[in-house]
Amino acid sequence: MRPARVALWALAALTALYLVLPVFVVVPMSFSDSAFLEFPPQEWSLRWYENFFTDLTWLDSTIASLQIAVQVTLLSLVLGTAAALGMVRGRYPLRALVSGLVMAPVLVPYVIVGLAVYAVFLQLGLTETALGFVLVHTALAVPYVVITVSSALMSFDRRLEHAAMGLGAGPVTTFATVTLPLIAPSLAGGAVFAFVTSFDEVVTSVFLSGPDLTTLPVQMWSGVRVQIDPTVAAVSSMLLLVTLSLFAGAGVARLVRRRKA
Amino acid sequence: MNETGGSVDVLGVGKTYGQAVALDDVTLHVEPGEFMTLLGSSGSGKSTLLNVVAGFTRPTSGSVTVDGRDITHDPPYKRDLGMVFQHYALFPHMSVAENVAFPLRRRRVRGAELTRRVDEALDVVELGGLRDRRPAQLSGGQQQRVALARAIVFRPRVLLMDEPLGALDKRLREQLQLEIKRLHTELGITFVFVTHDQDEALTMSDRIALLRDGRVVQVGTPADLYDRPASRYVAEFLGESNLLPAANDSEALLVRPQDVRLSRPGADLPAGDHAHDGKVTEVIYLGSGLRVEVELRSGGRLIARTGTRLDPVPRPDDEVVVHWRQQDCVTVPA
Ligand SMILES: Nc1ncnc2c1ncn2[C@@H]1O[C@H](COP(=O)(O)OP(=O)(O)OP(=O)(O)O)[C@@H](O)[C@H]1O
Ligand SMILES: [Mg+2]
Repeated sequence: MRPARVALWALAALTALYLVLPVFVVVPMSFSDSAFLEFPPQEWSLRWYENFFTDLTWLDSTIASLQIAVQVTLLSLVLGTAAALGMVRGRYPLRALVSGLVMAPVLVPYVIVGLAVYAVFLQLGLTETALGFVLVHTALAVPYVVITVSSALMSFDRRLEHAAMGLGAGPVTTFATVTLPLIAPSLAGGAVFAFVTSFDEVVTSVFLSGPDLTTLPVQMWSGVRVQIDPTVAAVSSMLLLVTLSLFAGAGVARLVRRRKA
Repeated sequence: MNETGGSVDVLGVGKTYGQAVALDDVTLHVEPGEFMTLLGSSGSGKSTLLNVVAGFTRPTSGSVTVDGRDITHDPPYKRDLGMVFQHYALFPHMSVAENVAFPLRRRRVRGAELTRRVDEALDVVELGGLRDRRPAQLSGGQQQRVALARAIVFRPRVLLMDEPLGALDKRLREQLQLEIKRLHTELGITFVFVTHDQDEALTMSDRIALLRDGRVVQVGTPADLYDRPASRYVAEFLGESNLLPAANDSEALLVRPQDVRLSRPGADLPAGDHAHDGKVTEVIYLGSGLRVEVELRSGGRLIARTGTRLDPVPRPDDEVVVHWRQQDCVTVPA
């Protein structure tokens, strides 16, 4: 191999290593027997995994995070798809402004969003409630759904919709039977983004969390900040496992679909 | 036979896009059960007119009626017209059978009746064996047949087709032309067919409406348009034509190449024939005949189509007399 190729390979390998390095630290740490985060571990044990499944604060925050993320996913799919339709298909003045507003939550620093929301939600009694989390996370997740769905709509062959209407399908039926099935893969992609956006959210969630309701990422954050609890490492490892299986599952699904087509 | 065909009336329809005029005061009557072809060059407004009838394009002025009922403001899905597009527009996520079932499901046809009618429509276009395939697994001709089946399965009274054969190769196109013609006879419904191919229009149509720059320049049977064109434009659009100066300046004489005969100078000509002296400039062998180009001594040139067994076979630079019968030439407004 020529030197340039060797250098390229080395660079690629180093970059990959750099990206997955945290995994090599976190996973071993989760199996440590030490009461502190310790790397590399001296003694091995499963006590932090045991702790996760027996400690109610960890279980409660996990369930809360899952519930919130599912609701956020559903809500932002509906809102995001509607917004994408309006942005791609609509004919009305100030369309660019509307697009800008929809995308704003990703552009504004999350700290500012968190602070503003905190000030208002405190008065409304929405802090430490699932509804409060769902509202904020949905605002943050909608732009990702809008991006994936509107790119699917832009490349969508509208003549198919014309054909459907010519064959007797009204606008709603046309959308349900022709448009929706054909953009479904993009909707699925948007759903994954929305779910992860909510499940992973720390910054605004720190403002909204409290003794009544804390999400998993915030629990992990305080697990390190306040008490240095190695359960955090166990949780991280399990999340990694879940993420990996999700991606592997999506990959297999795509392979199967390609085989069928 | 024509009991199931609807009549279509386009009344004073205009369509402008900003400054551009796509349709200019078009009025057209289509008889129940008729095969009407909209013919014209690219950009003449054929698709716009068809889309106004189908309901995809809102006319700027005028109205459209089917069987006397004004449908100008009805959305496409309430018009109950069949439509076939050049690009097929089959639903890629549905099988052939599901595609054909689509308009029936919209009309709440279910169960055994649904299956029976889908099978029937697929049989009509001879695609029964492919019902479970996806559109992507079909050839262009097969896809267009599915589109046809889908457009007729709900028994519309009028079928609209926008260059349905435009994307197919010549051989397949000719085969499908015959099939569509057969379908028209079998179904007895009204067909409005768009093409820019004059041969296609001449072979298939009961009547042809020739469009130019958003206007209808002539409506009539293929023979009307070919033999008695209303203008020079029509004469030149349909088939090859020879246009010669007539007695007065506002008219021209039209004689079709197959009516032109060639003789040697000095030969006896049938009484009453129009005759001109000229010189052969080009001879092309076409298999079915010869295409001979003659430069007239009086100026201008003329095309003659003859059989291949002329004696002698004309060659370039031969002196000839071109002649034709009085009844084979018509006067055309210039
Ligand atoms: N959406 C549109 N916006 C602006 N101009 C249009 C639009 N649709 C059609 N036109 C114009 O209207 C005229 C007629 O178009 P139309 O598509 O009806 O032509 P056509 O006869 O079907 O041509 P072709 O044989 O190329 O399909 C053209 O000059 C075209 O540029
Ligand atoms: Mg067209």
